[in-house]
Amino acid sequence: MNVFESLQVALGGLTSNKMRTALTMLGIIIGVGVVIIVVAIGQGATKSVTDSVNALGTNILTVTPAPSHVRINAATVKGNADVPNRLTLADATFVSRNFKKSILAVAPQVRGQVQIVLGNTNATTSLTGTTVDYPFVANSSVSTGRFFNGAETDGSQKVCVVGTTVAGNLTGDSTTNLTGHSIAINHQMFLVVGMLTSKGVGGPGGDQDDMIVAPITTAMRRVLNKQLINSMTIRCSDAAHMLLATEQISNFLRNRHHLRPPFPANDDFNIRSSTELMARVQGITGTMTSLLSAVAVISLLVGGIGIMNIMLVSVTERTREIGIRKAIGATPADIRLQFLIESGILSMLGGLVGICLGIGGAMALAKISGWSTIVSPASVFVSLGISAGIGIFFGLYPASKAASLHPIDALHYE
Amino acid sequence: MTTTEVASVLLSLRDIRKYYMVGGQEVRALDGIHLTVDHGEFVAIMGPSGSGKSTLLNIIGCLDAPTSGTYELDGIDVSRMDETEQAHVRNQRIGFVFQGYNLLPRTTALKNVALPLLYGHHKDQVSLATAALEKVGLGDRLYHTTSELSGGQQQRVAIARALTMNPPLILADEPTGNLATRQSEEIMAIFQQVNNEGRTVVMVTHEPDIALFCKRMVIVRDGKVVEDGPVKDRRTAVAALAIPVAG
Repeated sequence: MNVFESLQVALGGLTSNKMRTALTMLGIIIGVGVVIIVVAIGQGATKSVTDSVNALGTNILTVTPAPSHVRINAATVKGNADVPNRLTLADATFVSRNFKKSILAVAPQVRGQVQIVLGNTNATTSLTGTTVDYPFVANSSVSTGRFFNGAETDGSQKVCVVGTTVAGNLTGDSTTNLTGHSIAINHQMFLVVGMLTSKGVGGPGGDQDDMIVAPITTAMRRVLNKQLINSMTIRCSDAAHMLLATEQISNFLRNRHHLRPPFPANDDFNIRSSTELMARVQGITGTMTSLLSAVAVISLLVGGIGIMNIMLVSVTERTREIGIRKAIGATPADIRLQFLIESGILSMLGGLVGICLGIGGAMALAKISGWSTIVSPASVFVSLGISAGIGIFFGLYPASKAASLHPIDALHYE
Repeated sequence: MTTTEVASVLLSLRDIRKYYMVGGQEVRALDGIHLTVDHGEFVAIMGPSGSGKSTLLNIIGCLDAPTSGTYELDGIDVSRMDETEQAHVRNQRIGFVFQGYNLLPRTTALKNVALPLLYGHHKDQVSLATAALEKVGLGDRLYHTTSELSGGQQQRVAIARALTMNPPLILADEPTGNLATRQSEEIMAIFQQVNNEGRTVVMVTHEPDIALFCKRMVIVRDGKVVEDGPVKDRRTAVAALAIPVAG
């Protein structure tokens, strides 16, 4: 009997009990589906982080206030913790002035959610207040119009630059040029002086075009009412100067904030380089991917045991059939092949359905959550191979059991 | 003994023994069987229950291996073959018909009959299987599944399956055991026709009137051949069928 004939016999066996076949495949379906989705998420996350870091450049430092750092001293115990030692606009100004050799530019940033109105349409978006160095530091540019200038920053002018998604939300068309229009940001009229060039969806911060950029002084005093900045982004002169710059900024901020050793435990700020950030994110996604993949592999294993179980039941149920086949000339190899193909089809079919569900799930997840997911051909082929391997491995024992049945015993089995 | 006589020997069993251990006790199912069957014979193996006649047929059919003794089929010692070689012998040289029909359930008559062709790697399976079914008078039941056929029809499908590979030897284990008289006679008519075409038929039966359709009767008792001779007053199944059923 050749493989094609065995295939027909095996398919006949599977279609005669469709519900059982479907349930048996479920373990493999879930396992393979999860593998595909998890790997797609992991690869998508890694790629978007890498892309955004590459777009930004590798000689970028980000200074943020240390979020969980609470200094227990007399002041905090008394309850008048006025948090003087957080990042201020003045910190950023001094940093940019003092280290000309290692630092090219500093862009302090404040961020907040704002409500915007144009005509009768209103929307919410995020407002970033920053300085004129922002386009250079953040690798941003304006597609039409201009960025706000130093005079407008110094004078806290109500001007802004708008991202394409914001324009889309306000007018229904993301290509609309709003330059020259006035939009209300938290009930204050701002003049749009330029449009940001689209950066696209999919970075770690979500849609990078869903933002309005305004002078930091305006944003802090007139809109968001903030005294402190959220972060400062620093572009170093080159990658070789990054360690020096980190050192200099740390010492400078420790002095300015009157911090006491030990350092860095007592620092009230964090300095991260873009490459470090990338490595961290990749490390986390790598760990998550392998962890979830391990769970999926266990599910595949359980699915394989399910297949073995059903195949054993099937061999017992069809003992008489095996006897008949042997009596009319089926060799042990014929019988073994028949059951191996049956379990192979069972798991391959489960694998195929799992792959389809996994790809669909990854795409649906990308739609719903906005995460970028990348289904790699390698993960598809590997999971198909694994599921076929599982079918054959776990089918081996039942198939051998069937093949070794004695014809007379099998024929007389009730 | 001339050479033509040597060539005409199909089965040769010498001192065949089959012992089982049942509950620590040795059961001698076959205890030194000597039997020679020539091409074209029609043998009925008879004997009481437990006489070992079914065990003998299973050994002849390569479904079971003897504990000791030699069994030659067409001059080849098949008792020393491994499982795969025996499977090929069953496929190529022997057609087996069972009391309980042993057809695959939920499968059409055509597919059942084509099964030996499948394992024998035949090309034109459908036409050969169709021809075999037409031979047993079931040309109009090709696509009926097993459960849609009567007992007599199922046994005819089983005979068609045994004939489809065109083997020299047909073995039947109580082929009429589950059937009424009329259907039994129909089955025996087919066996007589198959035998008339030159095929050797060996069947086990405990019904003396069925044995009368055969040419030679071998009686087995306690694992030994106790009687062996030609059938007297042989019946013809076609003639028996010509007699109208009473009532």
